Amino acid sequence: MEHTAEDIVLDVRGQICPACLLITLSELNSNKERLKGEKARLVVKTDHRDATRTIPGAAFAMGYSVSVVQKERHYEITLEHEK
Amino acid sequence: MSSAGKIEETDLRTSNERLKKYIREKVNHLLSVMGTKPLNKEELDDSTLIELDPIGIIALSFEQVLEHQKETNRRLTVAKDQLQAVFDTVGVCISIIDEDMRIVNCNEKQKELLVSSNTKAIGRHCYDIYCGKDSPNLDCPAVETLATGKPVFIREVKKKHKHFQIVTSPLNDADGKVTGVIEVSMDVTEKKKVEELMRQAEKLTAVGLLAGGIAHELNNPLGNILGYATLLLKDRESGLRPEHREKLEIIVEQAKKGGDIIRGLLDFSRQSVPSFSNVPINDIIRKTVRTLQNRFSSQRIKTDVVLPETFIVRADPRQIELVILNLLLNSIQAFEGVNGREKTISVRTGRENDFVQVTIADNGPGIPEEILPNIFDPFFTTKPIGKGAGLGLSICSGIIKEHKGSIHAGSEAGKGTEFVFLLPAAGPASG
Ligand SMILES: Nc1ncnc2c1ncn2[C@@H]1O[C@H](COP(=O)(O)OP(=O)(O)OP(=O)(O)O)[C@@H](O)[C@H]1O
Ligand SMILES: [Mg+2]
Repeated sequence: MEHTAEDIVLDVRGQICPACLLITLSELNSNKERLKGEKARLVVKTDHRDATRTIPGAAFAMGYSVSVVQKERHYEITLEHEK
Repeated sequence: MSSAGKIEETDLRTSNERLKKYIREKVNHLLSVMGTKPLNKEELDDSTLIELDPIGIIALSFEQVLEHQKETNRRLTVAKDQLQAVFDTVGVCISIIDEDMRIVNCNEKQKELLVSSNTKAIGRHCYDIYCGKDSPNLDCPAVETLATGKPVFIREVKKKHKHFQIVTSPLNDADGKVTGVIEVSMDVTEKKKVEELMRQAEKLTAVGLLAGGIAHELNNPLGNILGYATLLLKDRESGLRPEHREKLEIIVEQAKKGGDIIRGLLDFSRQSVPSFSNVPINDIIRKTVRTLQNRFSSQRIKTDVVLPETFIVRADPRQIELVILNLLLNSIQAFEGVNGREKTISVRTGRENDFVQVTIADNGPGIPEEILPNIFDPFFTTKPIGKGAGLGLSICSGIIKEHKGSIHAGSEAGKGTEFVFLLPAAGPASG
């Protein structure tokens, strides 16, 4: 897939995620303009399985499309403006 | 520490606990509103609960949720308007019908073709609104789809005098149960009319050729009969006795009649070329009515001929006379068997744009709806053998067509029949 958008990476691997969801939401809030303007995507790297279940619901409601890819030892959750 | 201080500290701790519990509950509540699961205690320990300002984060996120919702609504409205426009401007009728055969929705085309202007169609039975019936047709494709759950592809159905090609497909709920039908139909009435005209024209051509051929063949022997009989009559030396002379005169008269019939057949087969001129249609009408005066009076038929204005048409007067004669004869014949009430034949003329319109109507028994489409067919007759050949109206329609006019019939059973034909007017409307 072709995209020129910059990736904002939120790497919370190896941390006992302090409410991974809340941090992601906070990140979506502070980068709202760039994300909505399709200048950037937010990539969350986490080894916390629960996050793959909590993030998509909230992100959908906010108008982001979510894709979750399982890497060898972590998950990569990509959030971008839903077209 | 004093005991009072201890009590204060305990109070503070409990109130702190209550506050944290409150924040945690509200955070989880808000998250569930946003469509996600509550947080585990390990995910959000007490210190981060305060540091992270979860309610602040969620409040900002809600802003995005609302913006997204607004945008979604806007897009839905646009999509809905677009769909509605497609729904209404597409050239076919579309109806959504529920399992009780009530109309859930229908597009403008559907309303235009089958719903009378002041009627509310939604919620009413489709067979009532679209077909004008109090129960569905036996061959109704919607009934079939409701019963079988399967689509019906292209069935031709008649609704309120119009012909439609219909496709139906089932509407299913989540469990696959049929809850309604989408019916898409296309008006093919005009197409069918054209096909019918073509069929009739072909038939007419074939019959015309045949009739023309026979007429030609008969013309010669008949001419000879007439010629020899006339010669014999004129021959003063033949020594004919008066009664023989009388019989000979009958032969001449009958041969002439035969000649007329042949000329009629040639007219029909259009092998006699019409000779057009500008003629006042009223004169032709009056002359033809006069020819039939005896039959009108002997059958006690009232004629109601009102021709207030002079209309000039471009026509072959002999052929138009033939048309009027045929129409009047049909009316006269239709009155056979009608007794004990007033019998009237009326004739009217009028202007219809570039055409002059002639209407010949009677209050006879009328023409049954099911044979109305066939009356212009050659050899179509309801009269006994020897009474009618079924050629009259097909001759009329052939002649009128040759004049670049049109003819049609309307009838209401028991009330009477009306024939209307149009001929090109010669010159602009007077007055
Ligand atoms: N005024 C009328 N009232 C009732 N029925 C009519 C009238 N005019 C025509 N018809 C019906 O249309 C049929 C066809 O008419 P058409 O003039 O073509 O043939 P016909 O009168 O039966 O025979 P022909 O004209 O050759 O003597 C008639 O047999 C009759 O059933
Ligand atoms: Mg007739």
